[in-house]
Amino acid sequence: MRHTKLAIAAMALAVLAGCGGSSPEAGDQTVRVKFSSQVSFGDSLSDVGTYNVGTVAALKGGKFTINGDNTAINATLTGRNWTELVAAQLGLPAPCAAMTGLEGDASKGFSVARVNHAGCYGYAQGGARVTNPVGPGNAATGSALGALTVPVVTQVANHLAISGGKFKGDEIVFVMAGGNDVLFQLSKLSADAAAAGTAAGIKAGGEAYIASLVSQLAAGATDPADAAKNILAAATAAAARGASQAVITQETIGAAAVQPGNGAVSSQAVYSPMVATATAAGNAAGAAAGPVAGAAYAKAQGPVLVEALKTAGTELATLVKTQIIAKGANYVTVNNLPDVATTPSGRSQSAETRALINAMISAFNGALSAGLAGESKAVIVDVFWVSNDQATNPAPYGLTNVTEPACDLTAAKNPLGTALTCNGGNLKTGDVSHYSFADEVHPTPYNNLLLARYVSRSLVTKGWL
Amino acid sequence: MTKTSLKLLVLAAAMSVATAASAQQTAGTWLGTLGMNKITPKVDSGDVSAPALPGTKADVESDTKPRFAIAYMLTDNWSAELDLGVPYKHDLIGAGSIEGTGKLGDAMVLPPTAFIQYRFFPANATFRPYVGLGVTYAMFIKERGSAQLTSILNTGGPGATYKLDDKAGVSAQIGATWRIDDNWFLDATVIKTKLKTKVHFSTGQTQDVRLDPVAASISIGYNFKGLSF
Repeated sequence: MRHTKLAIAAMALAVLAGCGGSSPEAGDQTVRVKFSSQVSFGDSLSDVGTYNVGTVAALKGGKFTINGDNTAINATLTGRNWTELVAAQLGLPAPCAAMTGLEGDASKGFSVARVNHAGCYGYAQGGARVTNPVGPGNAATGSALGALTVPVVTQVANHLAISGGKFKGDEIVFVMAGGNDVLFQLSKLSADAAAAGTAAGIKAGGEAYIASLVSQLAAGATDPADAAKNILAAATAAAARGASQAVITQETIGAAAVQPGNGAVSSQAVYSPMVATATAAGNAAGAAAGPVAGAAYAKAQGPVLVEALKTAGTELATLVKTQIIAKGANYVTVNNLPDVATTPSGRSQSAETRALINAMISAFNGALSAGLAGESKAVIVDVFWVSNDQATNPAPYGLTNVTEPACDLTAAKNPLGTALTCNGGNLKTGDVSHYSFADEVHPTPYNNLLLARYVSRSLVTKGWL
Repeated sequence: MTKTSLKLLVLAAAMSVATAASAQQTAGTWLGTLGMNKITPKVDSGDVSAPALPGTKADVESDTKPRFAIAYMLTDNWSAELDLGVPYKHDLIGAGSIEGTGKLGDAMVLPPTAFIQYRFFPANATFRPYVGLGVTYAMFIKERGSAQLTSILNTGGPGATYKLDDKAGVSAQIGATWRIDDNWFLDATVIKTKLKTKVHFSTGQTQDVRLDPVAASISIGYNFKGLSF
């Protein structure tokens, strides 16, 4: 009987051990849809090296992140943006820029002829807007860099032009744009508001100066009220002629000295302190009025900008529908606009401006979603949500700094002051490997990995990856 | 025929050749059972640790496999049982903030369990409900990832893998046997196990997962004597 017992025990062990080796495996790494290629339209966030020529290349730049393979410094510093990571995941070749070149200051090495690269479908260009050909960094803005900023509408047209007017149908298409429409409009608003503020400040300052000067000069007259009326009339007449402040001052003092009982003011010892007091009053009034007027201007123009972004969002949705999907594309991934207000650039703005940025992005993203609603061949990735969550809840993402650039953007270290020329050699000191941002608006390679993972999640859920 | 089912047949044969004198479930009787068992994890997943999308959770699908158990009647009512079986293969799917990803991987688990049981009613009763309390040792093997797992953990990186910690848990059992004749009977049982393990991903991330599986099985059993301790 002992034998039977032993036999059963041995068999039980055999069942237990029947499974063989137990080492974990990566398993099947093939993706659910086999794509023939990756076609990417958009701006700096997807640009794989449009401007990697001339001085930009010489400065070891080219992409809008921390450039170059710096994994020797830290494993996160791969130099790759999200489109490159997703291409690798999909088993596709590394994406390359469809067009390269710069049209800026030749003396600085920013003038390199445009070249189209056959077989490269990375159309995204730093500075590109949705439909407007002039984006940030374009020569038409006065930029020495001379970014090409070919807008997304033209990027798509260029692709159609070289591919028989249609998509093959088995490409994965990425679209991410609109950020430069926000930045460009904001920068224009900021300049216009500053001009409006300056003009209003000068006007208010001049008025306060005259008011102060007149009341001081009239105080010593026999009839101060009557004298003030006469002095003000002289000052107003001078100002109306467009006279300079010195001339206005001179004529105002002259008019004051001839008022009954007021001869003493013609003495420099008497009027000089008065002029000084009036100058101080004018400066104070101008300084107070300028920003108020600037803010008022910005506030009045805000709704115009929000409307402009809504239009841009609708244009992008229409572009995706009529020029990409209607032309045969079956797999289109559209990233909406990230939370620009929490970038280092956004954080440096006033609360009012940040609110305006949010309203602009909300208008753009809302129009984009509405325009693509029910479109089964498009996936919208809610990059706004995840970028906002990263900014407010960085720890789970492994982010150590979400407010400051990782790159040293001082002129001595980075002549362009942007991520385009940031690399392992001009980072800030200390460990910046898990920073969110390379410069004021562009993500680090680590943040690009977070974005790639978030896009992947949408693609897996959609059944495309 | 697979290796495993062959082994089970051998076991069944071993049972049938054991001396089978009229054996009701009295003290000293062996109760061998062979049946099908469905394990359904009732998952309470923690979040994948940083760096991850907050709320990245996992769910585990059920699996059904043959089950073999052998019990020994210590008295007419108290028994000791050992539950064995072939490895269960469970699919791992995304949940929480990655809900909808579908299958991300799979893993095999062997959950041998030892019970002390109390069987109600006399040894020759037609219907004998029983309860048991025991210990399960879950051994995880052959954890396998996928392109989908890699893309969510480390897009564009090397294929991601993961390992589950082997863990012991407490199991409670409720079941019953129905007498067919002196030797044969039917057995139905439900086992609830409290089991918590930890997932270690090749990216360095971890995840606590409470599996708390419920196992439900139906088996055919055979009473026999002759192997006495």
